[in-house]
Amino acid sequence: MIRAENLTKRYGDTTVVQDLSFTVRPGTVTGFLGPNGAGKSTTLRMILGLDAPTRGHATVDGRPYAGHSAPLTKVGALLEARSLHPGRSAYHHLMALAHTHGIPHTRVDRVLALTGLTHVARKRVKGFSLGMGQRLGIAAALLGDPATVVLDEPVNGLDPEGVLWIRTLLKSLAAEGRTVLVSSHLMSEMALTADHLIVIGKGRLLADTTVDELVRASGGASVKVVTPEADRLRHLLPDARFTTEAPDTLLVTGLEASEIGRAAAAHAIPLHELTPQAASLEQAFMDLTRDSVEYQGAPA
Amino acid sequence: MTTTAAPATTAPTTTYGLTTTRILRSEWHKLWTVRSTWITVLTAVAFVLGVGILMGSTYTSDGGDSDVDTVVLTLYGSQLGGIALAVLGILVTAGEYATGMAHASFTAVPRRLPVLWAKATVYTAVVFTLSLLTALLTFLTARFFLDGTDQAASLTDDGVLAAVAGNAAGVTLLGVIALGLGAALRSVPGAIGAFVGGVLIVPEILGMLPYDALDTAIRYFPTQAAGALGSATPIPGAASPGAALLALFLWAAAALTVPALLLKRRDV
Repeated sequence: MIRAENLTKRYGDTTVVQDLSFTVRPGTVTGFLGPNGAGKSTTLRMILGLDAPTRGHATVDGRPYAGHSAPLTKVGALLEARSLHPGRSAYHHLMALAHTHGIPHTRVDRVLALTGLTHVARKRVKGFSLGMGQRLGIAAALLGDPATVVLDEPVNGLDPEGVLWIRTLLKSLAAEGRTVLVSSHLMSEMALTADHLIVIGKGRLLADTTVDELVRASGGASVKVVTPEADRLRHLLPDARFTTEAPDTLLVTGLEASEIGRAAAAHAIPLHELTPQAASLEQAFMDLTRDSVEYQGAPA
Repeated sequence: MTTTAAPATTAPTTTYGLTTTRILRSEWHKLWTVRSTWITVLTAVAFVLGVGILMGSTYTSDGGDSDVDTVVLTLYGSQLGGIALAVLGILVTAGEYATGMAHASFTAVPRRLPVLWAKATVYTAVVFTLSLLTALLTFLTARFFLDGTDQAASLTDDGVLAAVAGNAAGVTLLGVIALGLGAALRSVPGAIGAFVGGVLIVPEILGMLPYDALDTAIRYFPTQAAGALGSATPIPGAASPGAALLALFLWAAAALTVPALLLKRRDV
């Protein structure tokens, strides 16, 4: 369990994080979302005691991170930047960290296997691809079998297979009862992984909510339907709301794609397309953070 | 997703946790698992031994070096070797900031100071042992060549063993100063510049100024104090070995205190 209370970080005149309070609970994946430069990394660094807050404080399981006698068993962290010596092998990097806590080499071998790095464990990290580097960072995070896992942009630079692997890993960590906090600037990724969302912009809390609530607040998920008999379909679905995009194209909200499909089949209405739209979630995030995007592209 | 009520962590069979011994072990592991350590250490040994053999094998009694202290003469290479070991000290601390390893180190040991103490302890133990063995080996090798010249000397001669050990202590404490500079400046080139400029060159320049008080003070500067420690016969105008050792200890302590104070305050 992570608790942030009134966390504030200033560098001179610039306020990077302002009065941020939130709680991250065990057993779920919490997404920490915000545009680039929103203060996500700084917040995570304050939780880990790497940066000192100007005001406020953060605790892990009721204590500041540095107050724990076995910190690696409390929080395992992957920070955005590569945190290792490129000339050291993956095995020795993990072993050096393991020694500080008396963690045996068998555990090092275990996290290397878990992250699929066993065959490159003795190679110097210098030659690692971005994805392998991320896997090693995750191996380091899992080293102490921690109750809380904090990952800063873990899918950055990963191939689709790697992204899928992280998604599965995060869900299984949460299912084991751990607290999982993952930062990202990609709403779409978080929608697939996270149950709970903490959204920040310009260092301020914008939303502390569940994925479902955020979708509902933004008008709900919609389904795109293309059919030559759009009018007939509309009358068959009295509970739904419609937006007509083209004479044969409807955007339906308030119903699942399966319900629409069943209704259409029952009345023999041909459907050319029936697509759930994830865009609304992306849109909700954009709406939420529009005013706090630091670098906004001007229309060409 | 199914949320099964599993325990937060599988309880570790042994108690994981930070201890001083474990942090020392981690720093020892870090030191020997990068190539730069082996390169700087072997370079230092090669310099000291090579220059010692060169000095011994080319020595002639009428060559004008008769008045040079035998230990100083045979361990002339320790000045160059010392620079290699000072670079190692800087890599041990500043190197972690250059690579980003500092994040991992201070996440594992968030109280931070134990990391600095462990680095200084491991470095001191390794560099002193290595310097002492190298100095002994070099002196004995050079002595083999110097037998029969006016520089013939033995380890059991008055002050020789103390000077050989003093040389190793001087090299080690200069290296600890470099390690401290690296920790304070967090930049490898910055710390190397500060060490070469501030510790090696500036006292030489100050010594040329015509002020007596300055001359007395400079005796206790790190390089000069290390020089006094490594001579079997007293050097005119230098500090006594005891005073020199004390001065060097204080310099090294100061060089570690500054980064220790900064480490507590600064963000990583």
